Order: sequence, then C-alpha cells, then structure tokens
Amino acid sequence: MDFFASAMLGFQVAFQPVNILFCFIGVLTGTLVGVLPGLGPVAAMSLLLPTTFHMTPVSAVILLAGIYYGAMYGGSTTSILVNIPGEAASVVTCLDGYQMARRGRAGPALGISAFGSFIAGSFSIVGLMLIGPFLAESALKFGPPEYFSLMILGLTLLTFLASGPMWKALLMAAFGLFLSTVGMDNVTGVVRLSFKIEELVDGVGLVPVVMGLFGISEVLLNVEGTMERSIFQAKIRNLLPNLKDWADSIGPILRGTVLGFFLGVLPGGGAVISSFVSYAVEKRISKHPEKFGTGLIEGVAGPESANNAATGGAFIPLLSLGIPANAVMALLLGALIIHGIQPGPLMMKQHPDIFWGTVASMYLGNLLLLFLNLPLIGIWVRLLKVPYPFLFPLILLFCLIGSYSLNNSIVDVAIMILFGLIGYFFRKFRYEAAPLVLALVLGPMMENSLRQALLMANGNPATFFQRPISGVLLGAALVLVILPLLPRFHRKAISPE
Amino acid sequence: MNHDQLSSLTWFFIGAAICAVSLTYKLGTLSSPGTGFMPFLSGGAISVFAVLGFFHATLRKKGGEGEGPLFRGVNWPKALIVFLSLCAYALLFFPLGFLLCTTLFIAFLLRAITPQRWPWVLGCSLAAAMASYLVFEVWLKAQLPKGILGI
Repeated sequence: MDFFASAMLGFQVAFQPVNILFCFIGVLTGTLVGVLPGLGPVAAMSLLLPTTFHMTPVSAVILLAGIYYGAMYGGSTTSILVNIPGEAASVVTCLDGYQMARRGRAGPALGISAFGSFIAGSFSIVGLMLIGPFLAESALKFGPPEYFSLMILGLTLLTFLASGPMWKALLMAAFGLFLSTVGMDNVTGVVRLSFKIEELVDGVGLVPVVMGLFGISEVLLNVEGTMERSIFQAKIRNLLPNLKDWADSIGPILRGTVLGFFLGVLPGGGAVISSFVSYAVEKRISKHPEKFGTGLIEGVAGPESANNAATGGAFIPLLSLGIPANAVMALLLGALIIHGIQPGPLMMKQHPDIFWGTVASMYLGNLLLLFLNLPLIGIWVRLLKVPYPFLFPLILLFCLIGSYSLNNSIVDVAIMILFGLIGYFFRKFRYEAAPLVLALVLGPMMENSLRQALLMANGNPATFFQRPISGVLLGAALVLVILPLLPRFHRKAISPE
Repeated sequence: MNHDQLSSLTWFFIGAAICAVSLTYKLGTLSSPGTGFMPFLSGGAISVFAVLGFFHATLRKKGGEGEGPLFRGVNWPKALIVFLSLCAYALLFFPLGFLLCTTLFIAFLLRAITPQRWPWVLGCSLAAAMASYLVFEVWLKAQLPKGILGI
C-alpha cells in the first residue's frame, strides 16, 4: 500500500462518527487533565484504560492518544494564568507565560501557545507519517543486540538531560531496572523477588508506581506548603497574537517543533525534556537573554511548540519499533497488547487501520483542540478557582480508584501509596523519577534482549560493539556518559536558569 | 553529613541488599544468564552509582556548598496526616466498603488539613463518594467492594 492510499485509509477510519466522538472525548478529557494540576495524562489514561476494553482497538488508541496531546494543550493554561503547571511539560511555560499574564498579555500568551501547539502538532504528525513506515522497515534489521543498545541509549539520553547530577539519574534508572525484574522470569518461569505476594508474580504495575511517584507525592508536597494560588483575575482579551508577536514567535515555534519532534522520537526524550531544551536554546540564541523570565513571548512559543511536537514524535518508536518512549507510550503499549495487538515493525502491515487511523485522528484532534481551547478558556479558569483543599482529596480519590480498578486489587493501592511516600522523599532529596519510570517500562524488554543477545553470541559481550548499528548506538550512549565529565561540557542542570 | 551523602549511603546498602537477594537465584553464566542475573546487575549498578554519588557529595561539601534542613519552613505533619489517611483508606476499603470508606476519607481530609465548615464537609464528601460510585461502579462496572453497607 503506498503512502497516499495508506493516508486515505487512515482518514476513512478517523472520520467514522464513533472515532470522531472518541477523539473529541479524548482531547477534551486531555485538556481538562492538563488544566488540573496534580492529575497528569498518565494518571488519566490509566483511569480510563478499563473503559476502553469494550471498544475497538483503533477507537481505544484514538481516545487515549487524544488525552495525551490534549493534556499538552491544556497544561499551558494553568502555567500562564495560575503560575502552576497543570502538566510537567508546561513547567517552563510558567516563567514567561505568567509574567505575560501579569502584564495584561494573558490573551496573546494563551493564543500563541494554542497556535504554536497546533503548528507543532501538525508538523509532528507529518513527521510520524513519513518517518514511521521508514523506521519500521529498518527495524526489521534489528536483532536483540540492536534493541538492547537502543534502549541503553534511550535511558542514557534521559539521564543526560535530567536535571541534577548524572549519578542520581543513573541510579534512578538502575533502581527502575531492578523493579522491572520483580515477578516471573520470562525465560525460566521462576518467580523472583515477589516475597510470596501473589499480585507481584506479574511484576510491579506501572500505573500504581507512576500514580504514586507523580500524583500522590505531588499532593503530599502541596499540602505541606501554603496551598494558595493567585489566579489571574482580569478579563482575558485579544487571544489572537498581533503581527509583532508572530514575528517574535515564528522562529521559536519552528525551532521548538523540530527540536521537540526529534527529542520525542528518542526513547527517554519526550515532552518535558523538549520544552526545557527549547527554552534553553531560545535563551541561548536570544539577543536579550536577560529578559527571559520577565514575560517574553518567545519563552512561551518555543516550549509549548516543543512539547506538542514531542507527542507526535513519541509515537514513532512505539508504533514502528514497539518501544515506548515514555510512560504515556508505555500505557498505550499496554492498551494495544490488551486488545491483542503487538506494536512493532509488522504492525503497519498487519493492522494498517490502527496505525494510519491513529495518525489521521491526530490531525482531527489538533484541529478540534485549536477550536475548542480558546473559547473554553473561561471555563478552565473557573475550574481552577476550586480551592486546593477541595481539589486534593478528589485527586487522591481518583488515584485510589484508578490503582484499585486496574486489577481489583488492594495490593496495587498499597504499591501506589508506598511509591507516593518514596516519591515524596525522592523530591525532597532531589531525585528525578522519570528515569526510574522509563527503566521500569523498558526493563523487561532490555533483559530479554540482553539475554538473547548473549545466548546468540555464546556469552561474548563484544557482540554489542561488533554489530554496526548496535555499536553506533552504544557509542552514542558512551559519549553521553563521558560528556559531563569534560570541563567544557560540565553540565549544569537542564533548567531554564 | 549532607543530604546527598546520606541518601547515597542509603542507596549503597539498598544496592548491596539487592545483590545479596539476587544471589539466592541462579546468576547463570554469560552465555546463559540466569534468573538472578539482571537483578544482580541492577543492584550492583545502584551500589556503584551510590559510591560515585557519595564522593561527589563529599567533594561538594568540602567545596563549601551548604544546604538547609529538608523539613524547615514546611508543615510536614499535614503530609504525614494525608499519608496515614491513605493507609487507613487501604486498610478499611474492604471492611467498610467503597461508599462509606470514601465518604469518611474525604470528610476527614476536608476537616483535618484546612478545616472547612461541617455543612461543606458533609456535602462535599457525600457528593464525591456518590458521584464516583455512580461513575465507577454503576457506569464503568469497576466492582468496588460493598462492605458493611452491602451496596
């Protein structure tokens, strides 16, 4: 099937009334999730995952994907109006977005954020359509050593880009790998490290761990703080940016789009890192870097475009290689497997309707978001006025029900609470949880690839360097580990400062 | 001892414990890795990175970098109350059932963290429990526990 026939098939699938409905529900839920601080796309998708069991696979993926990129749109609203990021990828938008709002320019900030997101989202979908099939073809040449090396590169990249010292990020990744080994060994069938808890035979669930590390720990930190928010009170006018705003923003939007897309493709990249890197790049190349943080529209346009471009990019390794680039993609992987579909190089041939239907639905979703978001901003602002003392019990309740309803198991709830406490201390001691989550997701695949590769090579570890693709990937990972040791590249945290 | 020294030391022992437990499974050989191979590898990696972290933190301390206490300026007992109430929820979830347990949980948090008026507490906790019951039990068929109320 050629490219245009495939694309047409995708649009036929996406424009079925039922799929339009699920796309609409997905992006609306995603925006709501993005707006509400403390409830990210991972938590929302895991809450809604059981509801997709009765749907067709393509409708399920369209709904869940809509939540993901919808959250990226919604996250900026809280950053700009409340100075609280509704979603981790919008943290950096607070810096200039909120300052713009305080200067009476909330409208253009919200407007450029929506338009930038639309442009970046559309570009990344085109990229997904063009690169996805090509990568899937190439992936047929991948064996266990290449898969292992690719995942090592992904983990290393995430630790390289994470904030704080690299040893902390690497340590988190190693801990995530350890957690992924809990449960039944796929090769020998031996149950390990389950401590005779039946529910752990299948391993430590991703959803309870993520809800604990991100949702519960966030609430614990918020309740010990002041729990006060200053919501932008004045009327929001002039949502359409003027010509000068466009002139200032078009460069950051295009750079953020390209940067976000390629960082999104890499396992371990993703929306959060893309937005931070985009901000850092804009500040670096700006003629007036000292003005960043005082309300520059470039500081909103770049990161918001980058995080939306990354969402499209993140689908590429999942749909073409079967490797989730981040925790959200891991949930989508889980959803596809539940529906009996194995993402990977053969998916485009075996289930073209799902691949192309999902991609086409993202065009539709991006359009819906553009037309939905700007008129709905008033409603989101009203929603944000719900005081946090009323909001946080509901967030906790969502997390409790979400973790329980996965397997109707109280053990999952206990795991979530435990990881909530662990996540609280991680944040206190400044350990980032993202490398842990990615390692937990990639761990089983890494272990299988490692063991298969060693078996194939009669225990010769040099096989990872002797095979060209694997060698290049591992070499790149090695460079990333060594770079911070060099004085010139001695990294400071990837922070906007 | 600064925070990073303390945490890296803790991680070192966690890594060592993981290695020790992994040894109870078969490590296998390089040509045929066993069940304990990957846990041992990850435990070892944790310990190695922890040692690196300890040295890094020691150098920073010698360089004069200071840091304040972790719990200064925050109302940590509130976080503790929330954590304990989550534990209580998990323990009472089956005996009390979803509706009663959730109502009590929300009401307690609304009263204990930033005390709200009783009418608000009762109204919000009942509304949240009923709404979530209707969505998850009635609509999504989540099979929530019925407990002593039998609903």
